[in-house]
Amino acid sequence: MEAVAARPSLPPPWHLRAIGSAVRWLDGSPGLKSFGPFVPILLLWAGVAQAGIFPRIFFPGPWDVVLSFANLITKGILPEYLEDSLLRLALGAGAGVATGIPLGLLVGLSRIGHRCLWPVIVFFQAVGDIAWLPILLIWFGFGLATMTFVIVYTVLFPVVFNTALGVRSIPLEFTRAAQSLGARPWRILLEVVVPGALPNIITGLRNGLGYGWRALIAAEMIVGTSGVGFLMFDARRAGQVTEVLLGMIVLGILWYVVDGWILVPLEQATVERWGVVARRDVP
Amino acid sequence: MADLVIRKLGKTYFDLYAGRHVTAVADVSLEIHTGEFVSIVGASGCGKTTLLNMVAGFIPPSEGEILLGDRQVKGPGPDRGVVFQGFALFPWKSVLDNVAFGLKMRGVPRAERLRIAEEYVALVGLAGAESRYPTELSGGMQQRVGVARALANSPELLLMDEPFASVDAQTRMTLQEELTRIWEAKHPTILFVTHDVDEAVFLSDRVIVLTRSPGTVRAEVPIPLPRPRSWGRLVEDGRFKALVARVLALVRDSDPPTNPAGGQERSG
Ligand SMILES: Nc1ncnc2c1ncn2[C@@H]1O[C@H](COP(=O)(O)OP(=O)(O)O)[C@@H](O)[C@H]1O
Ligand SMILES: [Mg+2]
Repeated sequence: MEAVAARPSLPPPWHLRAIGSAVRWLDGSPGLKSFGPFVPILLLWAGVAQAGIFPRIFFPGPWDVVLSFANLITKGILPEYLEDSLLRLALGAGAGVATGIPLGLLVGLSRIGHRCLWPVIVFFQAVGDIAWLPILLIWFGFGLATMTFVIVYTVLFPVVFNTALGVRSIPLEFTRAAQSLGARPWRILLEVVVPGALPNIITGLRNGLGYGWRALIAAEMIVGTSGVGFLMFDARRAGQVTEVLLGMIVLGILWYVVDGWILVPLEQATVERWGVVARRDVP
Repeated sequence: MADLVIRKLGKTYFDLYAGRHVTAVADVSLEIHTGEFVSIVGASGCGKTTLLNMVAGFIPPSEGEILLGDRQVKGPGPDRGVVFQGFALFPWKSVLDNVAFGLKMRGVPRAERLRIAEEYVALVGLAGAESRYPTELSGGMQQRVGVARALANSPELLLMDEPFASVDAQTRMTLQEELTRIWEAKHPTILFVTHDVDEAVFLSDRVIVLTRSPGTVRAEVPIPLPRPRSWGRLVEDGRFKALVARVLALVRDSDPPTNPAGGQERSG
């Protein structure tokens, strides 16, 4: 399309120019660029729904979901539930990262820290987040405390593991260079260890947020009184398949938003700029 | 500024894989005077890096002592700047911030340290590249940053471990000429380690030849070539060639006599 628009001799007809600029616009916005691959899936979905193989009640088409989306938006339910879910995720992820990074640094830096903490970390990681739900329900009941615990728990381990891995992968010469330039241990931690481990810390953050997001939805289904997970489970109870599907789509889209608005900019501002990981081709 | 005095220095490692002790450096005594450029040459594996790492304070000696002025070397410190073979630049810092790092660690105010860093970036011929990141630079440019970073901190002694071994031959010659130019301008005390005899003779006031495992001092060769030195002038110079031939003979001769029992390595 670029070629069409750029030909100098004859100005292209208006509709070609319109298509050209539409394609360029789509191409320029990362959100819509990732939408492209979903077009065939949507078409297939619409086709199957239209063919009427399954009853409409059990297998609504894309358009029904769009209508339900509009409905839930105007009623204010979806925005409210979304806010609840995102707030829980932010709270839990924040706490998980705030404890996970120092723990990972400790395990990665200190032999004693590693010896004492590693077996415990491995044990609790193996227990898994959802396995905590029964005991949490007894202790904290159905509410924010239980859900926050589950998310913190899920986010914590990937962050700890990856931070420790990052610390251990820092070349010995970086620390030596800093020492022979006069850096004291505390400055080495801040100036060398943390930035050196950052690529791994970001990986841990990405995995942690991904797992945490899924754990949150699961927790909301089981213990929630609001949130996207609750919305889906509640809709199932009421036989509203459309809303169940809508919930699933919202979950997927939200991940793109979290990734594109938080993680990707963080990577671009740090590890990609320093050239320690390959740049993405998406601007 | 202070002289470096090394007395009866030795290092024995425990080789985990072989399950035995290996003496890498044995009974090394030498002195380096303030403002002197001294190179240590020897075959690969003869203990050059081990020796330099002990002087830098990165590893403790098994025997002997290292004195810088009247202070005993106990660990790494800003009085001994190090230039690494693999550059060891911080990839998350710009060229200028890398060069200013030592000053920052020592509490020099920001404006002042950036001014000093700029001066050293210019000294190594990188003016204009201050805001670039190390990964954007060629190997030769990265090592210029490495030299500037160490020098900007005004160390009493500059330690360089095969600093030009990982750049291409053309760049290496340029870097060698620039190092002599910087040394002639500022006269830092330099202990330079290399396996490249031409490089050692070209750069140094004095060349110390190590024997092969364990490394001990075999000979010291003064290099009375006039300065400023450049490859253009020295490459056909008879005295340069004669000195290279002499040092080379000492390095090659230092191969241990064939000893099937390998008993020499068990001395630790
Ligand atoms: N950390 C270590 N553990 C065991 N042996 C080592 C260690 N570092 C070096 N050596 C051994 O000591 C000898 C000298 O090594 P090195 O100082 O690196 O030599 P050079 O720098 O001259 O090539 C070699 O035989 C090497 O295998
Ligand atoms: Mg070496």
